[in-house]
Amino acid sequence: MGEIIQIIILGLALGGVYALMGSGLSLVFGVMRIVNLAHPILIMGGSYVAYWGFRLYGMDPLVMLPVAVVILAATGVILYKLVFEREARSAKYSEMTVLLTFALAMVVEGGLGAAFTNTQRVTSPDYATDAIFIGDVFIPTGQLYAGIVSLAIISALALFLKYSRFGYAIRATTQNREAAELLGVNVNFVGLASFAIGLGLAGAAGSLVSFVFSFYPSKHWEWIAILMSLVVLGGMGSILGTVLAALILSVVAAFVGTYFGATWSTLTFFVALFVVLLVRPQGLFGEKPELA
Amino acid sequence: MTSLDTNDVITARKAYYAGLAGEADKGRVVWFPIAFLAVLLVLPALQFTGNYNYLIHLVLFTASYVVMASGWNILGGFAGYISLGHNVFFAVGGYFAGMIFARYGISTIILAPLAGLVAAALGYVIGLITLRVRGPSFIISSLALVMIFKILFDNWDFVGGSNGLSLAANDIPVKWAKLPYYYAFIIMAAFSVWASYRIKHSKFGLGLRAISKDEIKSESAGINTRFYKVLAFAISAFFVGMAGAVWGEYLTYIRPNIFLIILVSVNMVLMCILGGKGTIAGPVIGAVLLVAFNEFFVATLGASEINIFATGMIMMLCLMFFPLGIVGTLARLKKLPRVLNWD
Repeated sequence: MGEIIQIIILGLALGGVYALMGSGLSLVFGVMRIVNLAHPILIMGGSYVAYWGFRLYGMDPLVMLPVAVVILAATGVILYKLVFEREARSAKYSEMTVLLTFALAMVVEGGLGAAFTNTQRVTSPDYATDAIFIGDVFIPTGQLYAGIVSLAIISALALFLKYSRFGYAIRATTQNREAAELLGVNVNFVGLASFAIGLGLAGAAGSLVSFVFSFYPSKHWEWIAILMSLVVLGGMGSILGTVLAALILSVVAAFVGTYFGATWSTLTFFVALFVVLLVRPQGLFGEKPELA
Repeated sequence: MTSLDTNDVITARKAYYAGLAGEADKGRVVWFPIAFLAVLLVLPALQFTGNYNYLIHLVLFTASYVVMASGWNILGGFAGYISLGHNVFFAVGGYFAGMIFARYGISTIILAPLAGLVAAALGYVIGLITLRVRGPSFIISSLALVMIFKILFDNWDFVGGSNGLSLAANDIPVKWAKLPYYYAFIIMAAFSVWASYRIKHSKFGLGLRAISKDEIKSESAGINTRFYKVLAFAISAFFVGMAGAVWGEYLTYIRPNIFLIILVSVNMVLMCILGGKGTIAGPVIGAVLLVAFNEFFVATLGASEINIFATGMIMMLCLMFFPLGIVGTLARLKKLPRVLNWD
């Protein structure tokens, strides 16, 4: 019994981090209909911000988190203006943006690799290697903190979307872009802002990830598939769905990892992605996928 | 009043279309691809005059890319389903032929069509699953496919796990050692270009092109879209698998890291976008340009990170400014040289 609780707790802590990694992706897809394949490598950009802050100035990754958020959000504004705004009228919009973000992912991967080499990096604040014991269940503090902070950020995001005026506008645009525009929502600005918020979330996730996983630029391919499985299972565009999917899949993966070995725990996500596409392409909370 | 028989109408219409096709044929420079092929076939004679192994390697490399890109083009260009996971079939073809070569010594060149069929069969099964969704979901599923196969091949001890297997090199003198592979790839490339021409102009190809324009309308026009898509997936897997088969023996080893890195499938996509998706000459032009770019970047800048960066950058610029590719853009401007109009 203790072992099972242990696995569930480890899975949930990891799931919290994955939830934050996926929620930015989900927000951007919901508002902009962009499947941002560059999201994971931009998360890693956030990790590098935290890493160099830690390495050069001894800053705690949790302190570097706002810095990473600001840097990534600014990157989001620039990317949106340079790349995605002009694609808004493209006939094959969703296909084009997938390919564009894919190419962008390669550009960022190559850039990060050239700048920082492909060495494995990790920040190591004291709590990253510590653990709390409750009875015979141990909780690694690094994952615990990361999980708590990311769930806090997601809650803040959810409250913002639910109660602020701008949150209304974002949700309205997600539901129906044309109708929102008719009612006076500046959808272009909403798009820009949610792209920036989405990448800001990537920055936050990145600095948390920096002490949970070791990272190197070409690792983002693995993250892409993991995050996509969360977003697809949760239903494209539904942040609540993404969070639930992250928690569920991480717990399942933790069980698979314990009983069959670590290699197969990653496979859980990919197989889940396939099964969801096969059985319920709209995911847990998504609408029917659009036929375009 | 003349009575019109249905058969007469059909005959007349057929004659009209044959006339149109003949008109298009007059504008087509058939001699150019054939002459080009002939030059490539006699190119190894240069070896009598000096050491041109590098040139032979480059042409061979380009030809292998032509096979893969033309194969990808059947699904991605004609049917409009962008797959980022086609290197799975490259790997399956390579491993199938490579394993038989390692065990029984049958040359992979002979095995290539068989390896292609195995890849096609797998493609058919995978297509049945993943082609249920379209657009972004399909692209994502194709990416997941690569990750799944990478993990499987990395952990499958029978095929050597992540270390792979080394294959025996042939015992031809170094000067001529590349030639069997050279001719195999040139012939495969010629075959794949010819086959994609035939497919594009068949009823099947017309159906695929209709699907890429509007799937629902083509379905209501009586096209069995599901069967067409899955068949297109299988056919494109066939070509990619065939290329993979010979590629393994040429490199003298098979390893997941060669076949299942994302750059391989990106290159297939990039060649088609660069040259022009859904055209016949596009993948060929794309392959030539991509190999040239690669050699240039590796020679001048070296690092593979820069190569990834440059590949991504070219792809982005191409998508943003020339989404139709070279052939497509020139054709739209009516400036396509006749020697490049292979459609």
